[in-house]
Amino acid sequence: MRNTPENRIERIVNDLLHGRRLRLRAGDAEEKEAITAAAQFAAASQGPQRMSPAFRRRLAQILESTPKETWLTRRAALVAGVGLATGALAGGIVGRAIEPAGSMTLSANSTPLLPRNGRWTDVGALADFSEGQGKLVRAGGVRAFVFRQGEAVTAVSNICSHLPCELWWDHGPKVLQCPCHPVSFTPDGKPSNPSYLPSLNEVYARVSPEGRVEVLGT
Amino acid sequence: MTVDPQHPGESVAPSNSAGEVVDLPSATRATDIALDELELVYAFIYARVGNRSDAEDLTQQVALKAFPRLRQGAPASAIRGYLFATARSVLGAFWSTRLGLSTAELHEDLALAVPHLPPSQESAERARRILAELSDNYRRVLELRFLHGYSLKEVAAEMRSTVGAIKVMQLRALRAAAKVNPDA
Repeated sequence: MRNTPENRIERIVNDLLHGRRLRLRAGDAEEKEAITAAAQFAAASQGPQRMSPAFRRRLAQILESTPKETWLTRRAALVAGVGLATGALAGGIVGRAIEPAGSMTLSANSTPLLPRNGRWTDVGALADFSEGQGKLVRAGGVRAFVFRQGEAVTAVSNICSHLPCELWWDHGPKVLQCPCHPVSFTPDGKPSNPSYLPSLNEVYARVSPEGRVEVLGT
Repeated sequence: MTVDPQHPGESVAPSNSAGEVVDLPSATRATDIALDELELVYAFIYARVGNRSDAEDLTQQVALKAFPRLRQGAPASAIRGYLFATARSVLGAFWSTRLGLSTAELHEDLALAVPHLPPSQESAERARRILAELSDNYRRVLELRFLHGYSLKEVAAEMRSTVGAIKVMQLRALRAAAKVNPDA
């Protein structure tokens, strides 16, 4: 079948009508409006939908495993600079200790980390950062992995987007690994399975005119 | 107060209301309440992605993102608003990832708007309104394909055309359907 727009749409429609996932490929973005319309018609053709009992049970388990008493938020852990290792999710005492005194506004996952009264912190010379390799740095209470691309740098939080555990840089596959569960993140913060977890929080980083790497921390 | 990274020391407004902490009425009922609300979120998401596997993954993401930020003490309407805000954010990221586009390149009308009807009625009602705005041929091909479950070959036989022509007509009908505003 030739890779024409009508054939691409037919493949997607056929998948939807057979209850399969949306499997999109290069070039499909050109027909994004037609694809979303097809998804809506497919949903309409199947009538009102409810969660399956198995999925509802799975969600209940996930919700029950969330620590309701501590209200430890990942952002709180990030800003407080707490390095939480395996098992710390159940650490209610730690959670309460770092809970901010007042109501705290949190940004959605994968949004940049903006500490209150944040300030730029020098974390080393650009020459100290190797191309394509993650380097863990500390900017006050914020810890981040910095990545160099030529004369520019990017940074992501070192805290997993699901469990509040500290990630580590795996030199081989060049990904950030979580020690608490089998998930990894690419240097731009995207999870190995994008349908499972949100991305890591971006951390602001820049290179000064003097060639120093600076990270927005506390 | 948050800090503009370009101008530390200057305050800026929070950029994303979906990030606020929202309270739960009762810790003991938290899971039941969340599950009932997530049922609505699931229907909302399903109506936009059209398949169970993606709808389940995205609903789970909403739960993972939103639930740790819910607290005791606020009205259920606030919880629902927060969950739907999170659902819209998750859906935006889903389409962005699947289509390889930045969220800025996604249009607001990519099925992210808040529903005006209960999710159980929403998708059928929207489809009916959209079909009513299309030309006879476009409406017919979409009705046969989606609502009656005809194959391309069966649609071609019904409309006395060829499979190739029906494929092109299906694409054009979907493009036309995407331009219809069912809420107008």
